[in-house]
Amino acid sequence: MSISLSHLTKRYASVAVVDDVTVEIPEGSLTAILGPSGSGKSTLLKMIAGLEMPDEGRVVIEGDDVTDVDPRFRDIGFCFQHYAPFRHMNVAKNIGFGLRVRKQPKAVIAAKVSELVELVKLDNKALSYPSQLSGGERQRMALARALAIEPRVLLLDEPFGALDAIVRTELRHWVKELHRQIKVTTILVTHDQDEAMEVADQLLIMHSGTIEQAGNPSELYDAPATDFVHGFLGPTTVFKGVVVRPHDLEIVSPSSGVMEGVVTSIMELGFEVQVTLTLSDGSMPWVQMSRNEFRSLGVAPGAPIAVRERVAL
Amino acid sequence: MLLDSPARPTSSELGAPPVRKGWRRFFARTKGLFGVSGGVSLIVGYLSIIVLIPIAAVVAHGFSLTIHTHGCGVAFWRWSVNAGFHTFWAAITAPSAISAIRLSLWLSFAVAAINAVMGVAIAWVLVRDDFPARWFLEAFIDLPFALPTIVVGVVLIFLYGPQSPVKVNLFETWMGLMVALLFVTLPFSVRAVQPVLASLDGEAEAAAKSLGAGGVRTFFSVVLSSLWPAVLGGFGLAFARAIGEFGSISLIGGGIGRTTTASSYIYNLTQGFLWTNAAAVSTALLMLSLVILVASNVLSRRIQQRLTA
Repeated sequence: MSISLSHLTKRYASVAVVDDVTVEIPEGSLTAILGPSGSGKSTLLKMIAGLEMPDEGRVVIEGDDVTDVDPRFRDIGFCFQHYAPFRHMNVAKNIGFGLRVRKQPKAVIAAKVSELVELVKLDNKALSYPSQLSGGERQRMALARALAIEPRVLLLDEPFGALDAIVRTELRHWVKELHRQIKVTTILVTHDQDEAMEVADQLLIMHSGTIEQAGNPSELYDAPATDFVHGFLGPTTVFKGVVVRPHDLEIVSPSSGVMEGVVTSIMELGFEVQVTLTLSDGSMPWVQMSRNEFRSLGVAPGAPIAVRERVAL
Repeated sequence: MLLDSPARPTSSELGAPPVRKGWRRFFARTKGLFGVSGGVSLIVGYLSIIVLIPIAAVVAHGFSLTIHTHGCGVAFWRWSVNAGFHTFWAAITAPSAISAIRLSLWLSFAVAAINAVMGVAIAWVLVRDDFPARWFLEAFIDLPFALPTIVVGVVLIFLYGPQSPVKVNLFETWMGLMVALLFVTLPFSVRAVQPVLASLDGEAEAAAKSLGAGGVRTFFSVVLSSLWPAVLGGFGLAFARAIGEFGSISLIGGGIGRTTTASSYIYNLTQGFLWTNAAAVSTALLMLSLVILVASNVLSRRIQQRLTA
């Protein structure tokens, strides 16, 4: 459900790691807090969960001011980067922990657990111990454990950070699909912009303790408010003294160009090709294009070219 | 290419790589002297001289095995196992021996158990709480390691002896023995648990809290389960130490009568020149300690295996 943070501030030894953050997170959204390490994004998340106490400001969940409520009464599902499994309990016991704490009847717990192991596709591992699971399976277990208490909000702290590339992509899709099914307000912290753009429907860009910009991914990508957001969300290059996206530049034949120069180097990365140029004003922008485009262009290092900004269609 | 690295010298340019010669080659090929690695042979050799041979000598004496040496230190062993076992059995089943061993056993067990609990509590305070004189408490915990145990005995006899300034007379009582043993075994219990507690990252605890568990619940269902192997390890060490303790309890226990522990009993036997009996009871004590140590080790390892992959 909706979360609103107002003037949230946290200081460690007089350095503000989270500095006067005011933001509204819409109900049912999947929001990613995106920022480089040390930007305060994890601390912000922990303050929402109550695992860190803010020095100033309020945390309001669904209209309830929970700033001074103990984490265990906040009804928040929290997942850690390293999954924080209870290592001496099997998967089923892990998932049922929150319900046992809430003194639910055994039959209710059993039913809920069997429903959840199915949801997170661990039904054949219910009696395994965390040490017998892969990283992806542990994170799915941690998610099921957090979901068991039917939390008002689901908070994921770098949930895919410790996984290898293939499992990470898989789990991203899975989390997005899960969110589509259960619609619980979810906040995810990550430093990986691809991950954030892919999974989230709302982005909060954090930089040195403050929110640089908030909005949906394409909005932020197309209309970044600051150079930091511009640089953080995707590749940039400088053309005529202005920061632009390298795929917004176009190489054309010298006669029709705006600014002339030569091709300096070419890097082929499968589908994508990056061409670095040296222009007549001495600047060295690079242009990003598809392989097909590159082939039809037919340039080699040293070839004279001209470059211009792509005309928006 | 732009990022072409400078040509790396090939092996032919560097000349032939150095080849192992002489004893280095011998060790590399034989994996040490006895076909095992050098490290293992070193440990076995050291342990034999320091630990195994003296223990073997006591055991042998306990079973009345005599060792005859002829000339140049060459040992010839004459076995008399049958007769020896009877002497051994008679020595350790004497009523006074049994009562001494029984006292030592239950005292050590109780002391190790109490200190297992207190050790966790003290380690918790040392790791989790920040208070001004922590460095002092840290050093204080190790005091029983450094203190000659007879000094502990003297301190206790002053404090809880017949002339006790606090009017608590524990002279010749099991309570007195227990106080002494609790003191000398405390560092084992604390130091076994402390590093493990310090290495917990707190995420599992935070997870338990966010799932609605209170402090007590979190401690018992999440923290303690990670500490069990260490607690058991500390228990084993404290137990073995308590079984063998002599200096600190010899004064407050009085050394005779119903407060004679196994170690005091052995000392009394040596005072009466009953060397064979002393060796026999020592052997029994040795085996008990060994069993407890191995058992706590095996149990601790089994739990540890479940916790990690």
